[in-house]
Amino acid sequence: MLKLRRWQMMRTGLALFCLALCISLPAARSLVVAAVAQQAVNPLAREMADFKKRVDAYLQLRKTITQKYPEVKETGNPTKIHEREVALGKAIGLARANAKAGDVFGPLSGHLLKVVEDDWNSRSPADQKAILSEIPRGLMLKVNQPYPPKLPLVTAPPKLLAQLPVLPEELEYRLVDRRLLLRDRDANVIVDVLVGAEPKRAE
Amino acid sequence: MSVRQLFLASALFLGISTLGAQAPTSKPAAPAPAAQAAKPSLEVSPPREMDSVRFGILGDTGTGDRRQYEVGAQMTKAMQIFPFEFVIMLGDNIYGSERPQDFVKKFEKPYEGILSQKVPFYASLGNHDDPTQRYYKPFNMNGERFYTFKKGDARFFALDSNYMDQQQLKWIEEQLSGANDRWKIAFFHHPLYSSGARHGSEVDLRTRLEPLFVKYGVDIVFAGHEHFYERIVPQKGIYYFTQGGSAKLREGNIRINSALTAKGFDTDNVFMVAELGKDSMQFQVVSRTGRRVDSGSVPLMPEPKSADDKPRSQ
Repeated sequence: MLKLRRWQMMRTGLALFCLALCISLPAARSLVVAAVAQQAVNPLAREMADFKKRVDAYLQLRKTITQKYPEVKETGNPTKIHEREVALGKAIGLARANAKAGDVFGPLSGHLLKVVEDDWNSRSPADQKAILSEIPRGLMLKVNQPYPPKLPLVTAPPKLLAQLPVLPEELEYRLVDRRLLLRDRDANVIVDVLVGAEPKRAE
Repeated sequence: MSVRQLFLASALFLGISTLGAQAPTSKPAAPAPAAQAAKPSLEVSPPREMDSVRFGILGDTGTGDRRQYEVGAQMTKAMQIFPFEFVIMLGDNIYGSERPQDFVKKFEKPYEGILSQKVPFYASLGNHDDPTQRYYKPFNMNGERFYTFKKGDARFFALDSNYMDQQQLKWIEEQLSGANDRWKIAFFHHPLYSSGARHGSEVDLRTRLEPLFVKYGVDIVFAGHEHFYERIVPQKGIYYFTQGGSAKLREGNIRINSALTAKGFDTDNVFMVAELGKDSMQFQVVSRTGRRVDSGSVPLMPEPKSADDKPRSQ
């Protein structure tokens, strides 16, 4: 009798073990597959995707602000254009009061620094001089500051632009004294500054 | 107001035309010395063809200083002889601050005589321009950094050379490939070819734009940025003009013996008028003192373009 009970218990245990194995194997397999896939994803692609998410988050915030300051239609009254630009810039600054350099560039910063550096090193001394001569040297712009309205809006080098992630129309890159900035085009406000290696001073 | 400004304003107001149109000279006029600045002359010829597309060209204008006003006054007078239908602006439309009053001082007042005749301006953005200028109705940019418009048989492409991103390049290719107009004219701020000692050719930009211009048959390119006038020896069948001296002047900045220069003028400010005819574009470049400093005819070339086209200078 005892033997029979033991045998029944063993049989039940074996059945449960087989059942558990059947259930867990595909799950385990999918876990392994996911882990392998995770490793297979290009880290740069992940950083790019992260950057896009951050840009989208900025745009979402901006969208809520522009409900109060809607885009100006073409107008012969420059006061309207000017007032909207200033108001939008201030509102964005307030909404992002705690924003700091690197918040939008995020983990992609390392890659971007390399792109900027490689692009710079590929240029002739004359070309480098031309880029640097457009605005006064040593201009240190910070997040949420307006781009100085009296200064030229430094020309964005087309070759460099071609290597940077595409931005929505609301944003643009500018290279100021070899620092890459993210600028809100209509609000004239600095959205992010690429932090990392201190740019070498050109001779 | 200076005596000279007073004189110009009076002459304009009274409609005095002591100066008729003069026949094009075989050689460009020598630069006028400063002492002749008050000499009331205007060497502009009337258009040659009946149904041509006539336009003015201004570059690097927005200083709000005396020179800009004097060029504006001469151009207003020229309109009586050469009635252009519109004006293209090659960037740096407003220098320095862009407060509402700056638009008046640096654009509306200097060109009051032209604007009052309902002649539209079409602006492109320079490195001194806030992109929000695209919302300023008198610049006719339709709220866009880059845009196109059609006049008669010609299609004009206003580009933002200060920010030539992938989006804009894609747009340019789409627009150029779809354009079947007789003339294709591009205008923007940074010159692809230049003999300027300060800036020189924008090689980076040229690498992006020139292949598209050649592939899709752009005929003529106008640029500014360099504060002088230069007609470039045709490059790959395309005629390039740099006209960034309508208010600022970088005197003596054209490199001597530059192989690029077909004609250069860097001793005074200028404006330009042109007409696109059936087979050629006639152009005249006039200095602040009213002297014609360059003129000529650019033939409409059949496609594909050859590299050794020469302008027929008069």
